[in-house]
Amino acid sequence: MSFREKMPTSPKSPLRKRRSSWTGSWLNHPTTSFKQVVSAVIQAQSPRSRSKSLSSDFDFTDIDRTLSLPDSLLLKILQKLPDSQKNDLSLVCKRWLKIQGRRLRSVKLFDWDFLLSGKLVSRFPKLTNVDLTSACLNPPRKNSGILLCHKSISFHISSDSSNWDFVEENLLNSEMVDRGLRVLGRGSCDLLKLVLINATELGLLCLAEDCSDLQELELHKCNDNLLRGIAAFENLRALRLVASVDGLYNSSVSDIGLTILAQGCKRLVKLELSGCEGSFDGVKAIGQCCEVLDELTICDHRMDNGWIPALSYFENLKTLRVSSCKKMDPSPGPDKLLGSCPALESLLLERCCLNDKDGMRALFKVCDGARKIHIQDCWGLDDDSFSLAKAFRRVRFLSLEGCSVLTTSGLESVILHWEELESMRVVSCKNIKDSEISPALSSLFSLLKELTWRPDTRSHLSSRLEGAGIGKRGSKFFKKR
Amino acid sequence: MSKSEKKIVLKSLDNEAFEVEKAVALQSQTIWVMCEDKCVGNEIPLENVTGQILAKVIDYCKKHAVVDGDGDESSEELKNWDTEFTKNMDQSTLFNMILAANYLNIKSLLNLTCQAVADKTKTIDEFHTFLNIENNFTPEEEAQICQENLWAFDD
Repeated sequence: MSFREKMPTSPKSPLRKRRSSWTGSWLNHPTTSFKQVVSAVIQAQSPRSRSKSLSSDFDFTDIDRTLSLPDSLLLKILQKLPDSQKNDLSLVCKRWLKIQGRRLRSVKLFDWDFLLSGKLVSRFPKLTNVDLTSACLNPPRKNSGILLCHKSISFHISSDSSNWDFVEENLLNSEMVDRGLRVLGRGSCDLLKLVLINATELGLLCLAEDCSDLQELELHKCNDNLLRGIAAFENLRALRLVASVDGLYNSSVSDIGLTILAQGCKRLVKLELSGCEGSFDGVKAIGQCCEVLDELTICDHRMDNGWIPALSYFENLKTLRVSSCKKMDPSPGPDKLLGSCPALESLLLERCCLNDKDGMRALFKVCDGARKIHIQDCWGLDDDSFSLAKAFRRVRFLSLEGCSVLTTSGLESVILHWEELESMRVVSCKNIKDSEISPALSSLFSLLKELTWRPDTRSHLSSRLEGAGIGKRGSKFFKKR
Repeated sequence: MSKSEKKIVLKSLDNEAFEVEKAVALQSQTIWVMCEDKCVGNEIPLENVTGQILAKVIDYCKKHAVVDGDGDESSEELKNWDTEFTKNMDQSTLFNMILAANYLNIKSLLNLTCQAVADKTKTIDEFHTFLNIENNFTPEEEAQICQENLWAFDD
């Protein structure tokens, strides 16, 4: 039996039931009076009272009163029920299944056939937010017990794997992915956000035809060819490209792809380039074309040296985030060619290696107008590297977290330089010590509007554990032994 | 404004008439719009609400009008009153109240009554027993839905 037959788009309405019993009663009592027929019809309206005798006063308490409510009111009741019951509600009856299905907006799919068969979109017709990455990985080998998690992807891998190409091996082929996209596009035209892996240009074009409202797209295992399809999404505002991921898969986005992207998505507001190749030219093209880009994230880049100067072409960029980069830009070119990002407000550096002085100097120069500086879990940020931060002209907020090489004097020499500094946060930086605070620094502290000062990692860790109750459980455990 | 204008007569489906203060009746958006448009006189026929239900709705509106008016009672007290109000209602009344609140467009009453129904049902079995909803799935369909619930997570 096909799915459509099993779950009709309109569940058997009470109306239809009544109508059939009405004609039934009429035909079954051709000779009786009208009055009798009417009472028979009334009887038949309540399915459970059908067996009772005609004359009895039937009991209204076992009528399904939800039938008297329109869907919109029933939905109001369902919304008041706790979220934990969400899945149970779909099992109450067909009508509730349908109403519940129309409520769901966001879904993370785990089974590709559920999508391909069209069941996903018929059960959840109002989806706006779909994540397909997990479903694109073939069913894992059973009971391997090893779960590999990487940002948005997590899957089981076999324990005896001598071959580390498991992602390539387990990934659905592009043809399948495209077929799924076609089904998804036809069924959920309201789609606003989609997360994808291993699709092709064709799949994207098909999807764009039906889902013209799509605003946010995440493309994993993205390459230059795939980006040819991207211009079709006219309303795209946010885009995340993941090209290569070390140890998982290789895929290449070069200047060609970046240029196609720049030409096709001129209205982007948010962009993340992860594991992308390319160089000055590609980045410059994006800067010039995407005039309203507000937030740019560069993650784990493999760009050719000399890309940083291209950042000055982003005229309206407010936030620049550089994360998980092993290098900045070892030869950014002569300083005098470095412009600066005119609208930049925040610079965020996360999990980066910051020991490349030339790259740092160039980056700080380009971002010299930033008001908020956020450096977290970066290594190689010694006093020398940090002294380059004197380039910032109007910093108001500084946050340092997990930068273990920086010392108190290194911090002091820079922040005494910043006249507009208003608030500061220093957390888990073990070489910054309370005992080394100079009078000049402490007087600066007293002038700050806001100060979070927890450079000592250990005290911070123990205070965190206290909340989690982990320390307690550990001590009990050891006592027993 | 003369005294008679401050009062308004609501007429139920079964021709029961209730005279209430205008401030009480105007908590219903539907009545408010009717008065605003001046499409009715001082007597408003409400064709979807029976007298028994309308009486309860008016009780509710009176209570809430008083509190909104002079602020004598705390919101805590009002909450307790609301709980008491729906606590002893039988199911039929409760559902009729939902319909009436919807028709009269009284948001707070609609919320209150919907919440009351939701509070009385906790498990699937309760939906079937308390609300008398017929489970019209075959066991195969039920198994299928359970399976599908595992395939699509709401994040």
